[in-house]
Amino acid sequence: MKYFIYNENSILITFNSEINSEFIYTISSLRTKIENDFKEYLIDTVQSINSLLIVYERNKISTYDFLTKVRSVKLETIIKKEKSKTWEIPVCYDTTYASDLEEFSKSKKISKNEVVQIHKSKIYDVMSMGFLPGFMYLGTTNFKLHCERKVKPSFKVRKGSIGLALNQTCIYPLDSPGGWHIIGLSPLEFFDLKSKPPCFASPGDKIKFFEISKSKFETMIKNKSLKPNFI
Amino acid sequence: MIKVLDPGLYSTIQDNGRYGYRNIGVPYSGFMDQDSAIEANKIIGNKVNESLLEITLMGPTLLFNDNYTLSITGGDFTPQLNDKKIEMYKPIEVKLGDVLKINQTSNGARCYLAFSGGITSKNYLGSKSSYKSITPSYFLKRGDEIKVNKSNKSNFISDSKSKFLLTSFLNVFSGPEFNFLEKDSVDNLFNKEFTIGINNRMAYNLTEKIQTKTKSIISSPVLPGTIQMTPSGNIIILHRDCQTTGGYSRILQLNEKSLNDLSQLKIGDKIKFKLIN
Repeated sequence: MKYFIYNENSILITFNSEINSEFIYTISSLRTKIENDFKEYLIDTVQSINSLLIVYERNKISTYDFLTKVRSVKLETIIKKEKSKTWEIPVCYDTTYASDLEEFSKSKKISKNEVVQIHKSKIYDVMSMGFLPGFMYLGTTNFKLHCERKVKPSFKVRKGSIGLALNQTCIYPLDSPGGWHIIGLSPLEFFDLKSKPPCFASPGDKIKFFEISKSKFETMIKNKSLKPNFI
Repeated sequence: MIKVLDPGLYSTIQDNGRYGYRNIGVPYSGFMDQDSAIEANKIIGNKVNESLLEITLMGPTLLFNDNYTLSITGGDFTPQLNDKKIEMYKPIEVKLGDVLKINQTSNGARCYLAFSGGITSKNYLGSKSSYKSITPSYFLKRGDEIKVNKSNKSNFISDSKSKFLLTSFLNVFSGPEFNFLEKDSVDNLFNKEFTIGINNRMAYNLTEKIQTKTKSIISSPVLPGTIQMTPSGNIIILHRDCQTTGGYSRILQLNEKSLNDLSQLKIGDKIKFKLIN
């Protein structure tokens, strides 16, 4: 673990470990511990794949004192009280909604069906969130799905779209321009200002996709059954 | 109520920003030049983080349908009330039927227009700061109506001492990937003058490049003031509306004061970096 003073009121912790599912959950446990123990000083935390940024109120504590406090939290002593949450996300992989599935399957020389089977067969870690409010970086995908971003980004990606880029998959929580290959669409709400918190998932959680038909997708949109289950 | 006769180039409602949601990808937003915005609030007895209008390069024209007290701080936009020049950094009383015209900037990029009592608008995730995808409207439009909270009209500061000064020297800390830079690049970075390129509330691009072999990094947290370098040597300074994570090397970090100073610079302005740690 490396501690870095980022600016007047932030400390960055970087981890050298190999990136795996277990480790992403360890970082989120450390984040939860720091959020609970140092609540009175905290403004924000940002978890990414191999680091944790902690932003604190500089008029409440000095950098030196806060760094000492943060250093005193040892990874080994963090007890993971509960298992990470796994959210079940319905996805319609029909090409009506999967605007890049056809081309992606051609470029990879694997059938559309195989792309779908490979994509939904794995449980993914929420590695970090960013780009847009509620945008989830999920990883890692099977090597057969690894790819560069699209050469020409789409002007408008529909909210709920499931994308592929590099060794990751993602969910677009809002309509937005985007460069990931879109291979499916989920009817759920992923960023809802009326909910508290606005996203059901956070870094360290897990995502499991399951396939729904086009008609099921349309029924779900109509019935506004827009919340996921978790196991 | 205040009627927007002309919205200006880019006028937004801002307060101190939206904190506590960065981990789910929500930017801070908030006043670009905190020093000037806080001063605008102080002058008319508002809380320092009260919502106000942030005005960019070319100001709006507003018609008042009631009596208000307001203050204008930051860059010099030669404001006029009913076609007569008014002073900045002072409480100004306006009456029903008055028209305030905030002109083009002659010094600085942003000015702040605060109303005693603050702007009445809804909080989204604890803040009124405009941001696309969070607030339903995110910049002022012709015909908009601005409502102002009741004010107790006390604690006015009649002659503010903390006026705005333009500076081209930006103080920086070394960033997490500073040691990716070769000695030549470091020398260039601190000896060369840079020019502000295309910019907005999210980021400032610099025109000059640095010869470098910097690689991309695994997507990692960034903050307003983080200075990124792309593999091709372009320099990008992130500002208040920036995303929460990024994959470019974080070579430097502006301090809070210089982040405010940068927000007053325009395309074509020159800057120099000074390392302070």
